[in-house]
Amino acid sequence: MINLTNIEKVYRTSSIETLALNNINLNIHKGEFVSIMGPSGCGKSTLLNIMGLLDEPSKGTVELDGQRVASYRDKELAHLRNQKIGFIFQSFHLINDLSVVDNVEIPLLYRSTNGKPRQAYAKEALEKVGLSNRTKHFPKQLSGGQKQRVAIARAIVGKPEIILADEPTGNLDSAMGNEIMNILQSLNNEGATIVMVTHDESMAKRTHRLIRLFDGTQVQ
Amino acid sequence: MIRHLFKLIWNKKRAHSLLLVEIWASFLVLFGLTSLIVFNVRNYREPLGFEYQNAWAISLNNNQDTVEVAEKIERVLQHLKAYPEVEAASRMSTNFPFSQSRMNNGVEYNKKNVIADFFATDENFAKTMAIPVVEGRWYRSADSVGKYTPVVINKKLKEGLFGDEKPVGKIIGERFKVIGVVNTFKSKGEFMADKPALFELLDASTKWNDLLMIRVKPGTDAVFEAKIVKAITTQLTGWSVEVDHLTDSRKTTHNLTLVPVIIFLIVSGFLLVNVALGLFGVLNLSIAKRRGEIGLRRALGATGNGISEQFISEIWVLATFALLIGLLFAMQFPLMNVFDIQAGIYLTAIAISVAVIYLIVTICALFPSRLAARIQPAVALHEE
Repeated sequence: MINLTNIEKVYRTSSIETLALNNINLNIHKGEFVSIMGPSGCGKSTLLNIMGLLDEPSKGTVELDGQRVASYRDKELAHLRNQKIGFIFQSFHLINDLSVVDNVEIPLLYRSTNGKPRQAYAKEALEKVGLSNRTKHFPKQLSGGQKQRVAIARAIVGKPEIILADEPTGNLDSAMGNEIMNILQSLNNEGATIVMVTHDESMAKRTHRLIRLFDGTQVQ
Repeated sequence: MIRHLFKLIWNKKRAHSLLLVEIWASFLVLFGLTSLIVFNVRNYREPLGFEYQNAWAISLNNNQDTVEVAEKIERVLQHLKAYPEVEAASRMSTNFPFSQSRMNNGVEYNKKNVIADFFATDENFAKTMAIPVVEGRWYRSADSVGKYTPVVINKKLKEGLFGDEKPVGKIIGERFKVIGVVNTFKSKGEFMADKPALFELLDASTKWNDLLMIRVKPGTDAVFEAKIVKAITTQLTGWSVEVDHLTDSRKTTHNLTLVPVIIFLIVSGFLLVNVALGLFGVLNLSIAKRRGEIGLRRALGATGNGISEQFISEIWVLATFALLIGLLFAMQFPLMNVFDIQAGIYLTAIAISVAVIYLIVTICALFPSRLAARIQPAVALHEE
């Protein structure tokens, strides 16, 4: 599903060169639930951004469904992200000026889905994460766990094949974290391929495979 | 997407209220300015109705002399006609073209009353001012027999009193008989609206109409002017004489119209520049504050250009809200016929103002939106 070959990522400023990822080779198979662990600053999020086509590697190749994306233009990359990938972030990234249902609808706006079906799909996704009674609420009226469930609904509303989660339980207490993990596991059981960055060993143990990074290098 | 943006702007209406007021106020000021400009441009495009080149207005003031004033004025008029440099000469009331003097009165016909500018002139006025007569003819001294004073009216007065009826030969205002119709007569210059006007044959025996209008041959210079002034003052001892060239008077009249417009234009220009700078600043700040949202939208499928279009569309939506409120005010002007100005002028001004506001907000949004398009999604998401 996702193939990374000899991935290297270097951040350059005028005086400093930082090697964020070094010679990463990774294969994520369809239907897998993979977790990525490592200390802060080891390159986990950078790796996830490269998998999510939000960032380009300095070296190496990224393949998505067997297609090399290096030559893809902005429009094609945006289309791929919209169609194939759902994102979940540690800080939720909800738009505070939009209601819950309007937040969930956003990926469908970029598919030009019409208003009524768009709202129906958004409500369906919210029902899946147990928030069908909060559609008209605004993010500020929700708890951290509820916000993350909205973010999950937004990630799955377009029925993407891949879900990339960057510390989805990082800002939540353990009970809420477990709840979110349960939702992710059920999505995986339904066929979604999930790659999750986490600091929490117990969460990582609930996934199929664990990848450990240290100073930008894959150690496990 | 438009509905989504409307929701986004509507939900942020408090944060945008000052910006809305700013755009709304700019629209109203612009509407006032463009109404004034459209009004003047429309007037300018209408024919003046007479030729001012080589026309001189000679004002005679009898001062302390009260003996045979009318006869003396007539003698001067005949004397002027004798000069080979003078193509035509005429006597009229003091409200000559481009002067600051004005006389008006109500004229009635079939219970219709129209306020018209009155000009008392002799039979040579049309020739002197090169006024084309479009119906009937210009009056002659011989027309004054009987109880009616012969008059020539302009089309505007004709439309006001008669509509489609033929006016020639009709009696108006109980004492005037219409002899002819002229097209337009904009006595206060090109920027003046064509108003109803009535020319009546002056009574040569009265001392009041002491202005002589002459048309001189092209190229006639100040030497001739000095010559006739000297001749008149010799002929009329104790009288004062003043000569106005209509080309100069026209410039003065134009300045009276154009100076307020230019001042208004400068003030509005400053206001619009301020609004533009304000918008530019607010948009830049908004983009800085919404980097996380930009990163998120890119992650969810927006292209760089899509982000740029979103920011421009947002400012259009905001401008649309402000303009809708502004239109509620502006539309009252044509609906209530404010200042008795044609609705078309207000509607044109509204259309121009709306276009200018959209143009300004688009220009202001272009640079910040391009900046937004260049934001790297991974960096923006990481910063949040």
